[in-house]
Amino acid sequence: MSERVDDTGGDERTDPADRNPLAMLFQGDGWRLERRLDTRPVHEMYATLAALVLTALIISLLVILVGVSPLDAFTSLYEGALGSREAGLETLVQATPLILTGLAAAVAFRSGVWNIGGEGQFFAGAIGTWWVYELLPGLPAPLLIIAMFVGAAVAGALWASAASVLLVRYGTNEILTTVMLNFVVLYILSWLLSGPWQSPKTPYFQTERMDEKTFLPRFIDDSRLHWGLLVALAAAVAVHLLTRRTGLGFELRAIGVNKRAAAYKGISVGRTVITVMAISGALAGIAGAGELLGLHHRLQLDIAEGLGFTGIIIALVARLHPAGVVVVAIAFGGLINGATNMQVGTGIPFALVQVIEGVALVFVLLAAVACRYRLKRTVRHG
Amino acid sequence: MDDFFTYSVILGIFVATVKIATPLLIAALGELVAESSGILNLSLEGTMALGAFSGFLVASESGSLWLGLVGAAIGGALLGLLMAVMTATVKVNQVVAGLALNILGLGGAFFWYRSVYDAGGTIDLPSVERFRTAAVPLLSDIPAVGEILFEQHWLTYFALVMVPVTFVFLNRTKYGLELRSIGHNPEACDMRGVGIVSRQYFAVIFGGAMAGLGGAFLSLSEAGQFFPDIIAGRGWIALAIVIFGNWRASWILAGSLLFGFLEATQLALQASNVNLPYQLLLALPFVLTIVALVLNRSRSQVPLALTIPYHRGER
Repeated sequence: MSERVDDTGGDERTDPADRNPLAMLFQGDGWRLERRLDTRPVHEMYATLAALVLTALIISLLVILVGVSPLDAFTSLYEGALGSREAGLETLVQATPLILTGLAAAVAFRSGVWNIGGEGQFFAGAIGTWWVYELLPGLPAPLLIIAMFVGAAVAGALWASAASVLLVRYGTNEILTTVMLNFVVLYILSWLLSGPWQSPKTPYFQTERMDEKTFLPRFIDDSRLHWGLLVALAAAVAVHLLTRRTGLGFELRAIGVNKRAAAYKGISVGRTVITVMAISGALAGIAGAGELLGLHHRLQLDIAEGLGFTGIIIALVARLHPAGVVVVAIAFGGLINGATNMQVGTGIPFALVQVIEGVALVFVLLAAVACRYRLKRTVRHG
Repeated sequence: MDDFFTYSVILGIFVATVKIATPLLIAALGELVAESSGILNLSLEGTMALGAFSGFLVASESGSLWLGLVGAAIGGALLGLLMAVMTATVKVNQVVAGLALNILGLGGAFFWYRSVYDAGGTIDLPSVERFRTAAVPLLSDIPAVGEILFEQHWLTYFALVMVPVTFVFLNRTKYGLELRSIGHNPEACDMRGVGIVSRQYFAVIFGGAMAGLGGAFLSLSEAGQFFPDIIAGRGWIALAIVIFGNWRASWILAGSLLFGFLEATQLALQASNVNLPYQLLLALPFVLTIVALVLNRSRSQVPLALTIPYHRGER
């Protein structure tokens, strides 16, 4: 294949406008769109900010169409998310699993491994948690909780490994296999809850309530905020240190940039892919344990509700940075929390949350492309 | 159990198989065309939801189910257009764009639905007079086969007809072959002067319109209503069927019928209180899809440039 053409050179024939149809929009007199060579983090930040402003504009329009003043809507959203101490704490409750599923996606995507199976690995983690609970009921509380988190991480990692082993061994597309595995684990859970693990007291698909000693401690009595948040934040720090400060982290990032070059450098791409999927699956699995032990206390089918998929969106909006994932997850948690208040207060449907998520991601993606270009004043040649 | 009863149960399963397969087949054929051009559209679930709702909205406002189908196709096509802009023009990562539009389609459909119909505060779900099954004259008189194949909905006939149409389009027409070559080797096509972007637009918009129609089958033929969980994973199943069918129209038909059959069987089992773990039956097709992916790897028909954006002069 040909070498990458340097498109910032003086050669008139390689006008970047030829490459990108969008650029043709900007081919006016005196200005042209050209490829940047140096994309600095600050450009990314401006672009993301611009994307969020555009999102707010589009959402305002939508809200106006529904017949509500955007000011009322956003005020109501804000009050629901951060307006009071209770609301703020509840926002963190919502953000807790999202931080973990967001990290799960970010780790995998950074290595160029498209793990779309966060949702399934979350369920695998919840199954692992309950399994350990059934297996080791006699363990003292702190040990049992730790064992359950380990069980969840292992279960999530194993479930993700089904996809990565197939990818490394047979070259099957991990996007497709992880999507399939999401369904398989959901049906396995549904089967477990309809028979082997079903609580005999109810006709519903759920287990018995767990023993109170397994409940994660809460920070304050009057809020649901539990220690799962600490686990999530610790995971974010761990992911940051792993990717930035260790040799393995270097390998993880290297295969994401260029698999072939990484292989030439002596990095075993296959082994790294398996490692990164295991880490990613483990993070999603831990999210499952956190929700089970911190909030639900019984295994049900509706404990995920799209948390895995939202995690993917969060990772992408955060441009795959661990710290960014924490920030975006809290923002999304606030969105979910605030939208409930908004629906009650202004009648705007809760589904606006998903619209906001989708629109924000679309604009962030477009902005990421846009910040690779710049408008330049051209000197006319004759 | 007497013979007549067994016969009618089994016949019922086959009739249900074809019905359940319909939306899957329509969406999967559309996705086949889109993927043939090298663009993986992961937003099928959201596109089906949007089509199901826009179809329902148009049908209930205009009073015409047929206009509803047009509305569904347009709703799906619009999301497809957005996907095409993002992937064919701006060349954003296809997986990411697909997931973004998926959530946008799902959220958009529910948001729109709630803002149109919840304002009145009615408890009853709004509904339309749904499509009736249309028996094909003469053919529907054939015993068993007639009932299974020729006493179905209009959209079912449409889906079945689209199987050979899609096959012929992709394998026997110039435009379709060009589309497939783009999916395999865009660079070579570009050198030959085959316009890539316009064909990808066509393919992805067509795929969106088909997904919209698949969604409309659920809202206009099956339920006569729209409700938030109406698609219930069928978009993802349609995606699985394309893979299971190894990107060939005939096998996609087989895959849709297999998914339909397993679903119909588990429904019948549940209804007759047979104590079988029906969930494992439901999980089976997804496992089979993975197995098919592994087994077909040496003769896989997957478009080689699937998910890889094409930049002229770059690699």
